[in-house]
Amino acid sequence: MSVVESNSDFQPTVLAFCCHWCTYSGADLAGLNRMNYPANIRLLRVPCSGRVNPQYVLTAFNKGCDGVLVCGCHPGDCHYVSGNYFAKRRMMAFKRLLEYTGLEPERFQIRWISGSEAGKFRDVVTQVCEEIRALGPLKHSASFEAFAEQGALGTVNALTPANKAEEVVEND
Amino acid sequence: MTDTAPSITREQTARVQTARVQTTRVHTALFAEVTQKLRLRAKELLESGEVVSVIGWEAGRFENQTTPAFITDANKVDRLIFNEYCANTLGKYVLSEKLDGKVAVCVRGCESRGINRMISDNQLKRSEVYLLGLPCPGMVESPEVSHASEPSHAPEASSKLLSKCAFCTHRQPVVFDEYLGTCEATDETLGGLIPKPIDPSERFSDVEELEALSLDERNAYFEKLYNNCIRCYACREVCPCCTCRECFVDQARAGWQGKQNNLEENRFYNLTRVFHIGDRCVECGECERVCPMELPLMKINRKMVKDLTTLFSVPEAGLDSETISPLNTYDVADLEEYL
Ligand code: SF4
Ligand code: SF4
Repeated sequence: MSVVESNSDFQPTVLAFCCHWCTYSGADLAGLNRMNYPANIRLLRVPCSGRVNPQYVLTAFNKGCDGVLVCGCHPGDCHYVSGNYFAKRRMMAFKRLLEYTGLEPERFQIRWISGSEAGKFRDVVTQVCEEIRALGPLKHSASFEAFAEQGALGTVNALTPANKAEEVVEND
Repeated sequence: MTDTAPSITREQTARVQTARVQTTRVHTALFAEVTQKLRLRAKELLESGEVVSVIGWEAGRFENQTTPAFITDANKVDRLIFNEYCANTLGKYVLSEKLDGKVAVCVRGCESRGINRMISDNQLKRSEVYLLGLPCPGMVESPEVSHASEPSHAPEASSKLLSKCAFCTHRQPVVFDEYLGTCEATDETLGGLIPKPIDPSERFSDVEELEALSLDERNAYFEKLYNNCIRCYACREVCPCCTCRECFVDQARAGWQGKQNNLEENRFYNLTRVFHIGDRCVECGECERVCPMELPLMKINRKMVKDLTTLFSVPEAGLDSETISPLNTYDVADLEEYL
């Protein structure tokens, strides 16, 4: 893993899925009130947080986003009654899965922001962008090799994901 | 960095394996008896026309190895066998076989839970299958076929429990039309005959082991997994939960899944597969067993099962065909983490 000396100049790309009825209106209100927040955020309007397919999140990371934020109405306020409840369960499981497989928790966040919470929108976006800026760019690949160079693979290898490709090479 | 202490997982596996060897002799009698009964019933079912085919196992190409059998002719039921090398989980084959009529299928714990799974996913009606319940003592690995030049040496019988069987919580079928074993279908009554399945609370030990690693270590571990995947999709084909007519990987126009075999695409495939089945996975371990690259897929599957189990206190999947999977429902009282 390459350690970036200082990340303060790093400009992350952060994608925010915003539900049309709450968070997107909240963002609108923040704009009307001339609030300042980092320009690293890219808003993507969805009808409901329940519309956010976890595959969108993976695609965002694959296409170069350094972080993803999913925002929706507060539980109980969903325009479609229950969309955000389904989203909540889904995202709780998905976030844990991503973290388990090695993603920094800060890179994928979920927040409920209502249409009147312009201030909260600004604060969340600022906080998320700063956290990701501090982390640096998303490691896209090759951290395995870098990790092996550090000689720290003992534990990982002891747990053995079978490595047939290597075996074949050795046997030849 | 020092090596970690021997894992709980391996200790457990070793324990079950020892128990396995001790009871091998009893099993030989059990297997012979079950095979007899199975052939008899298969013949009756086919002759009476109640079913059009019987799905079981037959001898494979090598000694100590079996392959799934699809018997449609009552005169050929003697091909059916049941022994400790019946590694394939058969449930999913029902979906293609049932197109011709009612199908009889051998079910152990893993198959029966898969059948329940497919019934609750509306892939199958209970009336379309006839379930022949079999007692399962846990299956063992087929010995490696030696490619050495002298062919005289038959592979030695092995006694290494399949890893999917070491983690099995329900060896006995949870649903069946008739039971072909020797006693009632409970692990208790099978007593000394069959080593106890793993305690459900212990089945996440390998996930906990990985969770204890640092973020970088986990990242390296899973990158290694993704890097080795060749995206043959065998893990999808055998899974009783992967029953979509059109899988996301085949939706070329939507373009979810790129064709390149690289880390990003392989990660996309593996994580999406897990997420699509994780709330319904019956933990049969078949995906991991069929993986030609021997990737530890259960370590991702079980992570999701573990989280859903602890977060939403859901029962094990596939024990009946009515329970709604945790991601298909919600509770307003769910834990709130995102305020
Ligand atoms: S069976 Fe193994 S190699 Fe094939 S797609 Fe699944 S994980 Fe990849
Ligand atoms: S994901 Fe694997 S263990 Fe789970 S049901 Fe499918 S084949 Fe079985």
